[in-house]
Amino acid sequence: MACPEFEDRLIDYADIEGEARACVDTHLAECAGCRQFLEALLVVDTELTARFSGREASAALAVTVRRRVDREASARRLSFVPEILDFVGWGAIVALLGLMAWWVVPFIPALNSNPTVLSLNTAVAASGAFLLVALFIGLRSLADLRC
Amino acid sequence: MDATPGSLRGMEQEIRTCLDQKQYREAFDRLLPEFQNKVFRLAYAMLGEAGAAEDMAQDVFVRIWRALPGYRGQSSLSTWIYAITRNACLSALRKVGVRREVSMEEPGVARAAEATGLEAGGDAGIDVLRFLKQLPDRHQQVLRLYYLEEKSYEEVARLLEWPMGTVKVYLHRARKELAEAVARGKI
Repeated sequence: MACPEFEDRLIDYADIEGEARACVDTHLAECAGCRQFLEALLVVDTELTARFSGREASAALAVTVRRRVDREASARRLSFVPEILDFVGWGAIVALLGLMAWWVVPFIPALNSNPTVLSLNTAVAASGAFLLVALFIGLRSLADLRC
Repeated sequence: MDATPGSLRGMEQEIRTCLDQKQYREAFDRLLPEFQNKVFRLAYAMLGEAGAAEDMAQDVFVRIWRALPGYRGQSSLSTWIYAITRNACLSALRKVGVRREVSMEEPGVARAAEATGLEAGGDAGIDVLRFLKQLPDRHQQVLRLYYLEEKSYEEVARLLEWPMGTVKVYLHRARKELAEAVARGKI
C-alpha cells in the first residue's frame, strides 16, 4: 500500500513536475509499496486510455439521425387539404340549412305578412350567419395549422 | 469532427442566423457534424455502453431537432445540447435503475447475473473495466469522460456542467480506488 503522505502525489504523478516530482521519485526509489501503487495507477491509465481514448460516434449515426429527421419533417409538413375539405363540409352544411329555410319559409304565415321586411331580415341574417361560419372555419383552420 | 471553442462561436452565430430566418433544417445540418462525437461521448460516459450511447445520441439529436424552433439562445448552443443529452441519459438511467431493482428482487436472476458476470456489465475480458462498473455512478462517469475527452479536465467539467474542483475530486477518488484494487490484486 502507498504511504499516506505520498498517495495524493502519486495519483497526480503525471501532472506534477520540478521539485515535487523529484521528491516523489526519491521516495519511490526506496518504497516498494508506493512503487506498486504507482504501477497499478499506470495499469489503470493504460487500460482506460486504450479503451476510451479517441472513441468517436459511428459513421452511421449521422445517417440514421438524418433519416429520422427527414421522416419527422415530412410528417410535419403543412397540408391545406384537410382545411379545404373542412371548408367544403361546413359550406355544404350551411347551404343545406339555407335550402331548408328557403323551403320552409313560404309555409309560415307570420313570416309572409310583409315580403320586403322578410327579404331584408333574411339577407341580414344570412350574411351574419355566413360571416360567423367563415370566422369559425378560419379560426379552426388556423388552430389546426399551428398544431 | 469535434467542436473547438473557436469553431463553436462562429458556428453558433451561423446557426442563430439560420434560426432567425426559420431555416431549421439548415441549422440542424450544421450542428449535427459538430456535436455528434461530443454527444456520443457524453452519453457513453453516462450510460457506460457504446451501443446504448449510440442509440441515445440518435434520440438526443431527434429531440434537438424538435426543440430547435424553441431555442432562443438564452444559453450557448453547446450548453443547451449537453443539457438535453444529460437529461435524456439521466431519464434512461432512472428507467434502467427501476428495471434493475425489479429484476434483482428475484434471487435466481441475481445469482445467474453474478455467475455470468452480467452484474459487472458483461465485459468479462477486461478486469479494470469490470471493477470500474462497481464504482459509484459519478466516479464511473467522470473517469470514462476524462479518458474519452483525452484527459481534459476542462472538457469534463463543461460537458457534465460540474465545477472543476468537483471533477478533480471525483477523478482523484476514482483513480485511487481502481489503483488500490489493482495493487491488491483484487481484479
